[in-house]
This record gives sequence, structure tokens and C-alpha cells, in this order.
Amino acid sequence: MAHPAQMGFQDAATPVMEELLHFHDHALMIVYLISTMVFYIIVAMVTTELTNKYILDSQEIEIMWTALPAIILVLIAMPSIRVLYLMDEINDPHLTIKAMGHQWYWSYEYTDYENLTFDSYMTPTQDLTPGQFRLLETDHRMVVPTDAPIRVLVSAEDVLHSWAVPSLGVKMDAVPGRLNQTAFIASRAGVFYGQCSEICGANHSFMPIVVEAVPLEHFEIWTAMMMEDV
Amino acid sequence: MLLSRRGLAAFSSSSVKMASHGHGDVTEQGDMSVPMYWDRLDTPLPDKPYQDTLSDADKSLKQKEKGPWNHLSKEEKLALYRMTFKESFAEMKKPTGEWKTVVGGIFFFIGFTGLVVLWQRYYVYPPHPRTLDDEWKAKQVKRMLDMRMNPVEGFSAKWDYEKGQWK
Repeated sequence: MAHPAQMGFQDAATPVMEELLHFHDHALMIVYLISTMVFYIIVAMVTTELTNKYILDSQEIEIMWTALPAIILVLIAMPSIRVLYLMDEINDPHLTIKAMGHQWYWSYEYTDYENLTFDSYMTPTQDLTPGQFRLLETDHRMVVPTDAPIRVLVSAEDVLHSWAVPSLGVKMDAVPGRLNQTAFIASRAGVFYGQCSEICGANHSFMPIVVEAVPLEHFEIWTAMMMEDV
Repeated sequence: MLLSRRGLAAFSSSSVKMASHGHGDVTEQGDMSVPMYWDRLDTPLPDKPYQDTLSDADKSLKQKEKGPWNHLSKEEKLALYRMTFKESFAEMKKPTGEWKTVVGGIFFFIGFTGLVVLWQRYYVYPPHPRTLDDEWKAKQVKRMLDMRMNPVEGFSAKWDYEKGQWK
């Protein structure tokens, strides 16, 4: 989760998110450079006492400030397309989970082997134990094994929702009547928080997503425990 | 925002009667189809001299100007200058003090906004949720560290787990 007044991204928990972080660093540096240059030019223009009233042709500078932006755009586009295609790679998932959006909770279905289905409701603020995170905790977490490609099929039972977990680099709209696929590999164990990212009614801000990545043995223990409870 | 009178004047009339901050005089109504007078740093020589109609004394001084200039006294030279030009370069470049009004206005409105925000906090906002109590926040920080939130470069990366203190 984010810490208070956090400005940047959360640490990546998947390789794709790591690539997105690095691309963002690259693009943001270009943005900073251009903004600094423009700001400097503005200050220079505003504070000068000189006036040039006789500017006519300016072929050289026109060529420069057409060609240079084109080159900069190519330098941004190349890594961008690379990450985009990386996100779409066929990844032969070990596990498929269906995340269904409802008003106002998520339900997760692990139906590869057994028929494990459960709902995930936000823990109300008054029910939190001291130290828990307000508006982020849920009663059931979506547990996944680490270092395994996971496919998540996202859909909705009523209105539009969106299943998003920033540290996994995942966001996928939940559209009623449609199956959207997204995938990730959790590189490290941990608990990763996200929130519904498509307006869906009164409690849109109160249907968070919690993904818990654990080593495979612990995942198997968890599924066994969940099957007993259900 | 039309905060400056200069902006207002530009919008409200098509003539060039503009008062300027610190330059108290109002220039004449301008008819753009005949030669105009202006005081501009970047175009120092206007299309016509400032004084159109000269008194007899002025006219005789103008005649004297056609002779050698070292026959002219300092006052006569100054008078000739003022016949041709309204403001000197020094007067044109004189700072107007407009910035003080602008900065003062900015501070005033920031201050007013601050008052609105304070009033709002006291009269409008509901009480804080209990998760913003210091005790809860401390437990939350401990929980975030125990759960190793953002351990790579973020939150938990800044905690020294061996020494039990921030790095």
C-alpha cells in the first residue's frame, strides 16, 4: 500500500510493474528536461530588455524544433511499445482465477481443480483492529502462489467495475457480460492492496482488493482451509 | 482575469486612451489613420513630433535649431527635446511599482483563502476517523513494517530491521 503523502509508485511486485517503473523514469526524465528548457526560455523572454523586430525566415531553427521533437517522441515510443508487448505475452498460466465485480464487493472463483468461491467485502472502519488500514482491508484476500504465472479473468455481475492492484501493475475493467483477461507473476511474497477503479455507485470507494502472494506450500494449505470452511 | 485597468481599457474601447501605473498622464485619443506619436523603447522615433502646434517662441527656437547647435544653451536644447518627445528614455523605463499591487493582491487572496479553509475545518468537516489517532498511526506503521510494505526502495526499505530504527 502507499504510505501517507507518497508521491511515486509503490514498489513493484511483478516483472511487468518493474518495467513500467523504469519506463516511467525514462519518460519523466524527458519531461523534466523539456520543462526545464521551456521554463528557462520563458524566463529569458520575459526578463530581456532587447527587442528584435525584424525576424523573417528562420529555416534552421524550424528544422531543429521539428526534427528534435520527432526524435524525442521516437525515443519515448520505443520503450513504450516494448513494455506494451511485454504485457501481452502468452504466458501459460499455472492458475486461473475469476474476479467478479458486484455492487459493492468482489468475488473470487478458483475453479481449476476444486470449486472454491468466496466473496471479499471491505472491513468497515468500526470493525478494524488497531493498526489495520482504513478502507483497504477485506475479510477475505485473494491468495496466490509466488513465482507462478496467474491469469485473472475479470468480469462483473451488475455494473462496470475495475480490478486494479498498483504494485502488481494490473488494472482491468470488469464489464458485465464480458471476460477480460489479465496476468501477472508475483515475484515476491507480500500483501498488495488495490481499489475498485471504475465508478459503480454509492460504495465504489469501499470495495477494495487485497492480493496475498505466498509460497506454493502455503497456498495449498490456504486452499485446503478455504474448502473446509465453505 | 481582468484585474488590471490596462486590460479593462483594452477591452472596453477601441481608442488608445490608456492610463498607466505611475505614468499619470493620459495620452491623446488616437486616430490610427494619420501619423501618430508614441513613446516606445523599441521604436524610438515616432511618425510625428509631440508638439503639433508651436508657440511663436517655440517657432523661433526651431529656426535657431537650423543653425550650429553649439550656439544653443542647455535649456534651449532641453526645450527642443521636449517639443519633439513627450517622455525621455529614462522616464519611459521608470519602474511603475505595479508589482507591489500584484504581489499584495496575491497575498491578500491567499490570506482570504486561508481564512476560508480554517473556517471550513472548524465548522464543516466531520470528526477525524479513529485511524488518524497517533496511537493507531503508530500501530499502523509497525504493521506496515511487519508486512514488509514496499521493501525494495520504499517504506520498509528505509527501516533497519536489525537495529530496530529508521535508517
